[in-house]
Formats: sequence, C-alpha cells, structure tokens
Amino acid sequence: MKAVILDGILLGLAFGLLGVGLTLVYGLGGVLNLAHGAFVVVAAMVTSHFISAGQPTALAAAIGVLAGAGAGVAVDLTLMQPVYRQRGEHRTLLGLLLTLGLAFVIEGLLNWRNPSGALYIDVSGNPVHILGVAESAGSLWASAIALATGAVLVAFLAGTTFGRAVRSVIQDETGARLIGISPARVRTVIFALSGGLAGLVAITRAMTAPVTINVGFDLTIFALIVAVVGGLGSVGGAFLAGILLGIVNTVSAYYIGQYITTIVLLGAAALTILIRPRGLLGR
Amino acid sequence: MGRRAADIARAILPIAATAAVLAVLPQVWFADSTYTTGLVVDALFLAAYGVGFNLIFGSTNQLFLCVGALASVGGYSAAILADKQSVPIIGGVAAGTAIAAAVGGILSWVAVRRSLTVIFTGIVTLVFSLAFENLVLGKRDLTNGDTGLIVTGAATRLADTRLGGYYLFAAVVVAFLIVFRALQLSHVGWAFRSLRDDELAAELAGVAVARYRIYAAVVGSAMIGLTGALYAYSDGFITPATYAFDQIDVPVLVLVAFGGLGTLLGPVIGATVFGFVDHALTTRGQLREALYGAFIIVIFLGFRQGVIPTATALARRLGRRRRSRTPVAPPQPD
Repeated sequence: MKAVILDGILLGLAFGLLGVGLTLVYGLGGVLNLAHGAFVVVAAMVTSHFISAGQPTALAAAIGVLAGAGAGVAVDLTLMQPVYRQRGEHRTLLGLLLTLGLAFVIEGLLNWRNPSGALYIDVSGNPVHILGVAESAGSLWASAIALATGAVLVAFLAGTTFGRAVRSVIQDETGARLIGISPARVRTVIFALSGGLAGLVAITRAMTAPVTINVGFDLTIFALIVAVVGGLGSVGGAFLAGILLGIVNTVSAYYIGQYITTIVLLGAAALTILIRPRGLLGR
Repeated sequence: MGRRAADIARAILPIAATAAVLAVLPQVWFADSTYTTGLVVDALFLAAYGVGFNLIFGSTNQLFLCVGALASVGGYSAAILADKQSVPIIGGVAAGTAIAAAVGGILSWVAVRRSLTVIFTGIVTLVFSLAFENLVLGKRDLTNGDTGLIVTGAATRLADTRLGGYYLFAAVVVAFLIVFRALQLSHVGWAFRSLRDDELAAELAGVAVARYRIYAAVVGSAMIGLTGALYAYSDGFITPATYAFDQIDVPVLVLVAFGGLGTLLGPVIGATVFGFVDHALTTRGQLREALYGAFIIVIFLGFRQGVIPTATALARRLGRRRRSRTPVAPPQPD
C-alpha cells in the first residue's frame, strides 16, 4: 500500500507539471491551449535531435526547454493576437479552435518529416529506497524536477514584482491595466513560461518512458483535466490535483485493473468539477 | 395573411432547396461511383450529427463535446440489442435513440443544476466521452472491444449499393432540418434566442432557461443517437473508432462553427465544404493532417462568426449602402 501511494505521488507530480503550464495560460489569457501537448512533443523532438547530434544530454534538454518557450512566444505573438481582441466566451472558443488547428499542424508536420521520432533519456543509477520502497532513479529525478519547478513557480508568483503583476492580471485584466501593468507583455512572458514548462514535461517524461510524436493529444487532454480539477489559474491547485489524481490512478490500477482505472480517474475528475466547479484551489 | 404566408415560405425555402439538391444529386453527379457515394454519405452523416450539435450548442450554448459518445451510445445500444436480444431494426434504432436522448438529457441536467459555464460543460462532456470510450473498450463481452461488432440484422442492401445509404441519410438530414426550423419558429425558438443572447435577462423575463436547455439537449442528443444507430445498421460493422472523438467531435465542432453556430443550414454548408476539403486532402498523403490544421486556422481567422452570418452581414451592409443612395429612405437601425 505504501509503495502504491508513493508511486501515485510521483506520478501525480508529473501530472501536476503537465497541468500547470495549461492552467497559467488559461488563468491569464482565457485561452485553453489545445496545442499544449504538441508543445511537449516539439520540445522532445528538438532535444532528441540535439542528443543524436552528439550534444551532452543536459545541454540538449536545455535547448529543448528553450524551444518549448520559443514556441509559446511565437504562438502568443501571432495566432493569439486576434483571440485576445475577443472577449469572454468568444475568446475561449476562438482560442480553442485556433490552438486545435495548430495542434493538427504540428502533429501533421512531425508525422510527415519525423514519424518515428522518440525521446528517451536514460538516467543511470540504482533504485533508491524511500521509506523502504524502491523507486527508479529516473522517476525520482523527474519528480524532483517537477517539485522544484512547482516551488519556484509558487515563489515567483508570490514573491516577485512580476509575479504579483501576473496575479493581478489573472484577477482582473482591466484593473491591472489601470495600475499600469501591460496585460499583453505579461501574457507573452507567461506563454513563454508555459511553453518552457511543456519542455520540462518532455524531459521528465522521457526519464521514465519514451516520448513519441503521437502522445500530444492525450497529454493535452490530461493537462486539461488536471488544470480544471485543480482550479483554472491556480498553480498550487494543479499540483494538488495532479497528486490526488496520481494516487487515485495507481491505487485503482493496483486494486481494480487498468481499463476500469481510466474510468475511475475520469469519474473522479468529473465528480470534482461537479462538486466544486471552480476546482480545488480555484477562486 | 399574405405576410404570414411569405414568412412561412421563407422559412421552408432553404429546407426545400436542400431537399431538392439532395434528391437530384445522385443522377447528375455520382450515382455510378461507389467511392464518391461513400464520400457524400460521410458528409451527410456529419451534417446530421452537426444539426443535433448545433441545436445543443448553437441554440442553447451548451458545449457538448460528446457527439461521438452519444452516437456511440445509440449505435452500440442498437447493435447490442440486435446481437443479444434479436431486436428488429426499428426497435434497435428506437432504443438507441431513446437511450442517447436520456444520456444527453442527464448530462444537460447535471450541467444546468451545477450552473456550469460553456467551457466547464465542454470539459465534463469531454470527460464523459473518454470514459464511455473506455467502457466500450473494456466491456468486451458485450462490445467485442477493439475488434468491433458486426451488426446482425443490418440491411445488407444499404451497405452493398451505398446509394440506399445516401437516400437514408439525405432523408435524415432533411428531417432534422425540419425539426430544427420548427423549433426555431415556435415559442421554443424565442426562448433559445433570448437565453443565448443574455441568460440573466432571459431568466428575469420569465424564460425557464434550465428547462429549455435540457429540452434542447434531449432533442439534439436524440438526433445524434438516431444518426449513430442508423450508421451502425447501414454500415453493418462498428468499432470504438467509428465514434472516436477525433472522427466525430472534432470535425462536427469545426464544421458547425464554420457554417455558423445556430444557423439552419450552417451544418449542411460546413459538411459540404468539409467533404470537398477532406477529399482534396486525401491525395496529399502524409501532409493531410497538417493541411487540415492549417485549414482550420485559416477559416477561423477569416470567418470568425461562421460563413452564413458573415455572408448575411455583408449582404445587409451592401443593401444598406444601396438604400442610403435613395434619398427618401430613412436610416435603418441595426
């Protein structure tokens, strides 16, 4: 049981890292970025390209994360501009459709040029014992990165001036503009951050299982569920929801079986949304 | 009296025109090609799903991202009843339609009770879609899982010629359009328009928003379930992929939004354009998916409100300009 819970927490941290990139962009711009999973795949392919070109893994990974951030900025400055001119639900719907199209474009291009692309990062090292449970070095590294990223994000949003500016735009765009914050600039930075987080997802996932080019859509859906359960716009909520769903997932997989697990997981997500439509930590 | 007759004629005209085009299309175009007939049938059932989705989302703002799942509810109910209970076609289709309508109604009831916003309704129904697909995959004893289910008692003649399938789905689309128009013209249509424009104002004016939402969801889901069940019988073989999210929901959302949300002919025009684009892209092989995505981006950058509303707005603007040249006409308010 202890091992199952611990596995669930480790899985949950990965879920949280996945959801947090989506939740930030939604909280800020009201855009549900359906290309988030595609960003993960782009970062993975860039990293894999540089690794096979002979670069050290750490450098290739850093370039991959930067590529994710670059993709985020590019999308924000081009495709999202007409979206930001809309308001409310029109904005969400247009953003949804345009990023859906973008996800098709990215996946289609990768399918065309690089259909067998995959990223796997081999983390050497013996399994480490935590509380008497053996965990592989790869998944521990991945979890440590996710945890550190979450902590840095929370500190950044709570403790820096720019972080406060971000939170003010999340709360009230007009109010933020009135006190001299440019929502457009904040959005660009957050889109870059979100893309970078997608890059980190690629790197950390590759430490436990290969990231292939067709995982984009599943990742997007999962990010969406985690972000919504945690409360759209809430960083802490995304990680909390990730961990809860991770535990639900491993416990149910251990005691019930895999097919039903997906249904249990989706049921848990639906139930949370219905009981608390704003999400666990949403306002 | 004369004015009323003119109104009714104008209301029926688009449907009659669609029916006429659909009736003569095989003779003038594709009756001799099984391949083309198949393409047109695909476009027709996407249009049929589209009308149902348009009724739910376009008329009452409930983003149901479970069109494929509701069609799957209808199709699998009909197929399983035929398989296990030897229920005849009519019974299977009726049961599939009724079950899909009930499921859609429950989803809508939940969304209304919890006052979910558009996006949250979308996410809950998306979660339902994924869960239902897994259920179909997991209940192998009933559904045969991935392998697929052969629909016993399917009308083989429909599957053989495809032309039978064409007339079946053409009739379905026209029937759905008639239902849609009838709802638009009745008091229900007034309620739909008021709640879509301003929900709070509608509620204050005494429109039972919750009831009309559920109403739209039940009727729309029945359309979707009926189409799914008919598809199962006309094709004779279904798998979870038949009703997969990317096969049904994505094209339906795109084509309805492209045609114009809430407009009568939006789904038909959307499905027609998409049929042609899809056909043009199949020859592009591996680039197909990327081009499809690019097409989605371009059309939504160009026609943000959909083709029909954009065209009507354009026509109205041209009309106003012409009127303003004649000095006696007073300025027209919007």
